[in-house]
Amino acid sequence: MAEYVGIDLGTTLSGLAYLKPDGNPEIVPNSDGERLTPSVVFFEAHEDVKLVGSAARDGGEPDRTVFQIKRYMDDPEYLVEIDGKKWTPAEISALILAKLKRDCSKIIGEIKEVVITVPANFNELARKSTIAAAEMADLKVKRLVNEPTAAAVYYAHSQGVQGRILVYDLGGGTLDVTILHVEGDNIRILTSEGARHLGGSNFDEMLLEAYAEQYHQQTGAKLYTDERHRRRVLQTTEDAKKMLSKLQRVNDTVANDKNDGIARIDLTRESFEKLIRQMLTRTVMLVEQALDSAKLKTSEIDHVVLVGGSTRIPKVKTVLEKLFGKTPKSCGNVDECVALGAALFAKRSARIQEVCNASYGTVAMVYNARTGEEKLMNSVVIPKNTPIPCSRTQIYQTSEDNERVIEVDITQGEDEDAKFVDIIGRITLEVPPNRPKGCEIAVTFSYDENQRVRALVVDKLSGRSREVAVSYKGAGVLTEEDLKRKSAHLRTMRIE
Amino acid sequence: MFKKILQSLSRSQTVKTETPKQVPVKTSGQATQRTGGVLNPFAKLAATAARPQTPEELCQITAKMSKDQIQAQLKLLYRRYNRSASSLDSNIRHEADQMLTAIVTVREKIFGEI
Repeated sequence: MAEYVGIDLGTTLSGLAYLKPDGNPEIVPNSDGERLTPSVVFFEAHEDVKLVGSAARDGGEPDRTVFQIKRYMDDPEYLVEIDGKKWTPAEISALILAKLKRDCSKIIGEIKEVVITVPANFNELARKSTIAAAEMADLKVKRLVNEPTAAAVYYAHSQGVQGRILVYDLGGGTLDVTILHVEGDNIRILTSEGARHLGGSNFDEMLLEAYAEQYHQQTGAKLYTDERHRRRVLQTTEDAKKMLSKLQRVNDTVANDKNDGIARIDLTRESFEKLIRQMLTRTVMLVEQALDSAKLKTSEIDHVVLVGGSTRIPKVKTVLEKLFGKTPKSCGNVDECVALGAALFAKRSARIQEVCNASYGTVAMVYNARTGEEKLMNSVVIPKNTPIPCSRTQIYQTSEDNERVIEVDITQGEDEDAKFVDIIGRITLEVPPNRPKGCEIAVTFSYDENQRVRALVVDKLSGRSREVAVSYKGAGVLTEEDLKRKSAHLRTMRIE
Repeated sequence: MFKKILQSLSRSQTVKTETPKQVPVKTSGQATQRTGGVLNPFAKLAATAARPQTPEELCQITAKMSKDQIQAQLKLLYRRYNRSASSLDSNIRHEADQMLTAIVTVREKIFGEI
């Protein structure tokens, strides 16, 4: 049995690694002989089989193929319908995990408990969905760990470095920036910042638009009119993007599927860099935000580490080098280091101090006794970057006389302005009648190692209390009952 | 010095959240956008508020502001809207994308391209 196993459940690629007896992690190939498995699922129409990986990606039937499901793990209403059956993002992810588990256990023995990586900016719902996916795939989640943390653990292990490390993780779907401090065998996360929907697939889409424009200029026709052909061209643009990381110029020919002629596409690295420049500026702003959060200057960072396939783009390195005045280092194989780090993390988690990735609080009218100002705001109870696990309490007051039901909204987000945070739940607490306004209510938030939140509300006068774990509602969110039923069903499926 | 009074915003939202809603379903392997189902009382307000036209106006950058002030304002807005891009509310996510583009445009115009 493999004791320490890590899984990188990626937007475009997924991988599984285990810790060898010598203490070094190793990637375990799938049964197709690939070290990484494309995170793609194909629902075969004729046979009752779900294809996962390269075969699914190359199947050519986009109507029955699910790509990049990870992008929707935080969407409570997202569903995929195939042949009249609705699949939640967690179920689709479970198919990918089931394939990894089945294939890799043939090589390293039974896999029961795993560490799974998630983007640092994954919210509570996405984390919960990831745990549900693992459960359906018959995997017990020992811990969720943020992808840049895992990558940094691997980098620190393989390079033997110490000091402050900034990890810039630009993957297929998201960007994460994490700053951590390595001291001996101990790692302390200082901050993690993330940007949703900012990754290699955005660059592919931009190239696709450039291809379509050039095609239209040369032929007067549309390059694609259906999803099947769009997917094919998108694969071509991804290949072109990869080539532009090695070459200054790429020439390509493309055609649509309506016999409107062939167009010659001419792309230079310079034009590609111009195309993605604004996206890269966003990534720089996220780096600056991370530095501000950690109260550090660029000169106080000892190592800049690159993770994720999109960091192969030369401009990424140039931009970071200019910003930090030092050459960023690649984290070995940028596609594999997250899974490798997760396997290391499985053994060393006790030595790694993580932080709360978001602020949690409630909505309150805050009076400043000194200035007389009052403001309706998001009142933070647990601030972002608090070391976890943690628990914090704030005292509030009731707003009305004879208030019988206290309602406490649970907010996620650090902005003072309640407009810019999510209200992810509420607690209602019945209290005794005939009380004046101004009774004290203690609101406590607890944050566990898997970045899951619990809230406790205590009416100090009566002692009544209520505690809840945050739960989400939506068509794409599984109930406990659904989870059990679907777990049993998934284990009967043929997954190749 | 600070007195914090709980505000039950959710109470006023009860009607909204209990309204039956149509659940969008992704058919034929395509993505669908989620609608409704959020508790954020400001979502509609944010999406429908009148918008200035230029990126500078969107970012509330004025000619009188110093470079340091502009930088501070852009940082504040970036943090706010980058967070909003992960909101559970699709309207807010959409607004955030537009704002992030405006923020980057202003930054490039004032501080130069990367």
